[in-house]
Amino acid sequence: MLKFIAKRLGSAIGVLFAASLLLYILVINSGDPLKDLRESNADNREYLMAQRIDYMELDQPWYLRYWDWLTGVSKCFVGQCDLGRNINGVEVSGLLANAAASTLRLVLIATVIAAILGIAIGVLTAVRQYSGLDYLVTFLTFLFFSLPVFWAAVLLKEYLAIGFNDWIASPDISVGTSILIGIVLGLIMQMFLGGSLKRRALTFVAVAIFVPLVLQYSLWLNFYRFPQMGPAIVVVLTLLVALSGTAMTAGLKEKRVLYPALITVVLVLAAYYATFYLMSEPNTWILLGGLILAVAIPALVGRLMGGRLRKNAASVAMVTGFVGAALTVIDHIFRAWPGFLDNKGRPISTIGSSTANFEGGYWDHFLDNATQLLLPTILLAIISLASYSRYTRSSMLEVQQQDYIRTARSKGLSERTVIFRHAFRNAMIPIATIAAFDFAGLIGGAVITERVFGWKGMGEMFATGLDHVDANPVMAFFLVTGTAAIIFNLLADIVYAMLDPRIRV
Amino acid sequence: MSNTNDNLPQNLTSVAEVEDAKLARQSEDSKSQGRIVIGRFVKHKLAMTSSVILVFITIFAFSSVGWGVIPGWWDKSYLDAGAVINGGKPTLSLVPTWLGGEGIRWGENPFGQDSIGKDYFALVMTGTQKSIIIGVVVGTVATFLGAIIGAVAGYFRGWVDEVLMRITDLFIVIPLLVLAAVLGQIAGASSGSIITLAFVLGLVTWTGLARLVRGEILSLREREYVAAAQAMGSKTSRVIFKHLLPNTIGVIVVNATFAIAGAILLESSLSYLGFGVQPPESSLGLLISQYQNAFTSRPWLFWWPGMIIVAIALSVNFLGDGLRDAFDPRHTGKKRRRRAGLFALPTRKEKP
Amino acid sequence: MSTEAAENYALSFTDLKVTFETAGPDVHAVKGLSLAVRPGEVVALVGESGSGKSVTSTAAMGLLPENAYITGEARVGNVNVVGLDQGKMRKMRATDIAMVFQEPMTALNPVLTIERQLTEALELHDVAYGKEATDRAIELLTLVGIPDPAKRIKQYPHQFSGGQRQRIVIAMAISCDPKVIIADEPTTALDVTVQAEILDLLRELKDRLNTGILLITHNMGVVADMADQVAVMFQGNLVETGDVQQVLLHPQHEYTQRLLSSVPRLSPVIIDESAPRSEPTAPVERELVLEAKDLVLEYNMRGKIFRAVENVSFDVAKGEVLGIVGESGSGKSTIAKAVLGLLPVASGTLAVKGHNLPKLSTRQARAVRKDIGVIFQDPAASLNPRFPIGDCITEPMVVHKVGNKASRTKRALELLDAVKLPRNVINRYPHELSGGQRQRICIARALTMNPELLIADEPTSALDVSVQAVVLEMLQDLQRDFNFACLFVSHDLAVVDMLADSVVVMQNGKAVEQGRVDTVLHAPTHDYTRRLLAAAPVPDPIEQAVRRDAWRILNSTK
Repeated sequence: MLKFIAKRLGSAIGVLFAASLLLYILVINSGDPLKDLRESNADNREYLMAQRIDYMELDQPWYLRYWDWLTGVSKCFVGQCDLGRNINGVEVSGLLANAAASTLRLVLIATVIAAILGIAIGVLTAVRQYSGLDYLVTFLTFLFFSLPVFWAAVLLKEYLAIGFNDWIASPDISVGTSILIGIVLGLIMQMFLGGSLKRRALTFVAVAIFVPLVLQYSLWLNFYRFPQMGPAIVVVLTLLVALSGTAMTAGLKEKRVLYPALITVVLVLAAYYATFYLMSEPNTWILLGGLILAVAIPALVGRLMGGRLRKNAASVAMVTGFVGAALTVIDHIFRAWPGFLDNKGRPISTIGSSTANFEGGYWDHFLDNATQLLLPTILLAIISLASYSRYTRSSMLEVQQQDYIRTARSKGLSERTVIFRHAFRNAMIPIATIAAFDFAGLIGGAVITERVFGWKGMGEMFATGLDHVDANPVMAFFLVTGTAAIIFNLLADIVYAMLDPRIRV
Repeated sequence: MSNTNDNLPQNLTSVAEVEDAKLARQSEDSKSQGRIVIGRFVKHKLAMTSSVILVFITIFAFSSVGWGVIPGWWDKSYLDAGAVINGGKPTLSLVPTWLGGEGIRWGENPFGQDSIGKDYFALVMTGTQKSIIIGVVVGTVATFLGAIIGAVAGYFRGWVDEVLMRITDLFIVIPLLVLAAVLGQIAGASSGSIITLAFVLGLVTWTGLARLVRGEILSLREREYVAAAQAMGSKTSRVIFKHLLPNTIGVIVVNATFAIAGAILLESSLSYLGFGVQPPESSLGLLISQYQNAFTSRPWLFWWPGMIIVAIALSVNFLGDGLRDAFDPRHTGKKRRRRAGLFALPTRKEKP
Repeated sequence: MSTEAAENYALSFTDLKVTFETAGPDVHAVKGLSLAVRPGEVVALVGESGSGKSVTSTAAMGLLPENAYITGEARVGNVNVVGLDQGKMRKMRATDIAMVFQEPMTALNPVLTIERQLTEALELHDVAYGKEATDRAIELLTLVGIPDPAKRIKQYPHQFSGGQRQRIVIAMAISCDPKVIIADEPTTALDVTVQAEILDLLRELKDRLNTGILLITHNMGVVADMADQVAVMFQGNLVETGDVQQVLLHPQHEYTQRLLSSVPRLSPVIIDESAPRSEPTAPVERELVLEAKDLVLEYNMRGKIFRAVENVSFDVAKGEVLGIVGESGSGKSTIAKAVLGLLPVASGTLAVKGHNLPKLSTRQARAVRKDIGVIFQDPAASLNPRFPIGDCITEPMVVHKVGNKASRTKRALELLDAVKLPRNVINRYPHELSGGQRQRICIARALTMNPELLIADEPTSALDVSVQAVVLEMLQDLQRDFNFACLFVSHDLAVVDMLADSVVVMQNGKAVEQGRVDTVLHAPTHDYTRRLLAAAPVPDPIEQAVRRDAWRILNSTK
């Protein structure tokens, strides 16, 4: 397997090198970098031209300029990147740091969301082939495939962001609207949960009644401006997860699974109080460490107490622990929300990647970043989600026709086991290769998204650079995104090898 | 395994006899694969609707403002500014008066006017025309290149194949949009004509189809009819063009349509970024880019070009999907194989 | 079948009918079938394609697709599984009824270890858990004869050979002690020697576990080898049932009679060392068409050279048929490929009518191709689906620029007559014909240029027995009429025995024995030929019992 990955990495680096050469030649030949100065009437025109020629080393032949760039890049290995200067003589490496962080964060989050949701939807539609849900999702994916990104972005800005910002100033939902929301959600839920006609009807009625009541009650609580949960609700919800998880895997009578889950609930409650002050002003490392503990400790408890059901027990406890931790975080975010609203009255931003001069604690900054990221992420994720769900669906359908699925059924396995244990892993094998191309597509999408939302990110650097026939910023963009793509590709290869033992052994 | 032999002679006692009897009974008219595919496609309602919409949009776009030297039936030009009437609001109305609307009316400026009084209908129709031309040219160039290169790589394998795979790897490292933007910039700088732009885009979008055709050829070349053709002494060109490529027609046609939709979207993105069609030429992406900030004041300037891009791309995509179903009936709902759902109770129909 | 009697059956069907709803007219796959399998008994369900035998078995497992409409009863033990709730049906699978499938290469999940795939059924049906389940799985692997099971259980399916995978599938099927095992063509995809081993294994397990076996097969030899009872199906109807001796030796129904007469038979083999050898009669005036001397053929697999054929020599003269027999991987088809010019010759000579192929220029080679016709194995893949039949048949004329449109059409019609297909087929497309009919088109195509040499690479192995008989008879007639030389590649010794004058037996790329058919196949000297002969089952239960013992002796001394 190591050999396989080393081989892939080697060829990827070769491609990266060839691509850099190609791109360099194309960019420097894409126009005349001195065009604006040639047409200008400024007195110091000659001086400005000489200065720009100096900045961009236009007096050198192209291969020397490329060689300079390449040697500058190779210094990155010793921590002294030299990516040249841009058209105005500013060091590109200095511009890069901020730009790269915001763009990569955007692309990464969008990829993760799109992959997880897309694959889930793909599996669900494959299992329910030719159902109403399948047709709806198929239609939506085709719609998303056909949407110009920038056009959809303007719509999102106008309706989602501005609409929400106006609404949050004084939240109100009329009774009629909440009933309508209930009916729509009911229709969607019955599609997702499926089942017999009776079951679907029950789902619909339950949702259609429950949702309007919750909406009105939450308005009465002024939940949208002052959301609150508190330890009681955290514990009750965690307990529900523990019980339903146990019921689904082994049945509530199975103490070897039930007890570790219940112990996890108690641990969540204890952790809630123990970390309360720490969590009010945490940092990213604390959160990450907490998450790892919240999954690892229950897993350990499950393994120790589960006996022969230790796998089931550990997974139920892990899920319980994770949900408990997530709810605790949400509780703290809820606590920070009113203060954040006071600070930033129109929460969802449509311009820029972070609010300038924003003051506040960790959670305030978290919320600020989150609301800034919200629209671009939704946009990028939706487009990529469409392709993930489509590919997963067809891959699942293909796999379900295979002989070994019939073998699995003939052992008496339940449909869920057949799908998740036998079909799913096989269906994921082709998805791993598609993911690499999809990531490249997302970076392309990010260029557009950044323009729409006025981010000063990598995409902007590329677009402006190309516009001015300025090779260094374009190459810096390429260096970061290309390397990211290769790392992502490598991850996909590792996943591929993990999924498919025929590669590994 | 079909036993629809109820009106065959019942005294047959050999499979060979049953088969020959069935062959003798078959109706005279024989269907080629092409005719079967067309038959299936015509029955695909969504794809047929999409085709009608596409034809309608195309005829409308070309006939209204004319093409080249041929004049159209719409009298305003997309280049002429004029007086802004009624804030440039669209005069098109589709709501009859008895429903409280303004009556069904076409009017002076059906799609409204922009801020300097240019007729927006003429602008949008010109843009639509350009988008369709770009889509078709890119689709043709990419399909031609992709099919040939894919077939050659799949047939000869070896270094041709190796080079092809490395080129497609290139698109993992340089996103398509980025490479297209750079080439679009070069094309714009050199000539500025949309045909040049379309050719250049075609040069970078063939790789997807090439990969697919290559994969298809790799499996087809192991078929015995190909071996038979080689064994009887056929030339390589005959094997590729008579035996291999015609059998990948499904993949090629389906992906050509997807390539057209992709090209239209790619062009609009490039024009939006400023690396595609350059003013004074018009394209749908360019129009959105020029008028995106007018959303609150003159929303029609934003809606019309966007809606038309979506309509074209969606129709082309559905058309491609219909073609895929027609070429490969495994994907259609003909044979309903529904299994119990994920959370669902069994839905099997079994009567005791 | 009365209810009280049903108590004793492991599996029984009463008036089972299965209809499929399709886009076209409904397909009646099974039209009223009654049959019973007792514990410890093997019932063979025999039939050709379209007989409904596989549908019957799938119905018993409750695995038929959604569009199947089932009536009648299918009882597993005492439970009628027709219309049974899915949840209950699932509980019965593996514990009451288990299945062994035809294609061992695809029946196992490629991404899960053998351990996982074996233990999941054990854990699901509460037989054993965790370490205990693994131990039980290792036990099962030992039982089905997988060497070093404790280590190999951690491996993945692709690390096992086809025969081993079928053993694993069998281990899976017996893991929860089912009352009945349905074996759906369990040995069809395997070589004869592996088939004999798998059949031995099934027989042994059945006796040990007292399981009933419903054996679905088209191979009469397998029936004779394994079955106690036989049921013959034809076009969805059960045409004959009875015990194995009665059905195979004294068939009543016309269909069964014709089916049995279609099966090519090997005459009894003399395995005795001191058996009289027929003297090879010196042939008079042989006009050699194909001649191979010290032929070596190699595949280049990503830089690694794999030698597929090593130092093989043979010749075929006009009017003769040379059979090449061997199991998969023996290199027999590779030789055919090399003669067809699809694979370069690594060393040695391969001459067609005196022209040594490796030495010819492309142009000369093309001229030689004119005299070679070819028939391949898979009728579904050997005709270009986009060509009408007429174009398929006349393609060699087009390639070699012979004749005009009218003369080509005339030739196509002549050839259609020769292969006894109606003339109006000329405008049809391959997908409108059945496998046997397509194979006849392939024969017609092969004969278009009046070749002097015909290469037939397993031409009948994808066909039903009765269709095979038609095709083989046709080949024999045509060979007599046109007097071409023929290189006939087959895994089926009986077919070669029937058709060929001389034979080459291949194993791992080497010719282990060659000579006249009546010598090699009736008084073999090489051990491998003997094992091959002994492993091939014949459709006569009494004779097969003798052969089985011979096979055991040979196998134990190997």
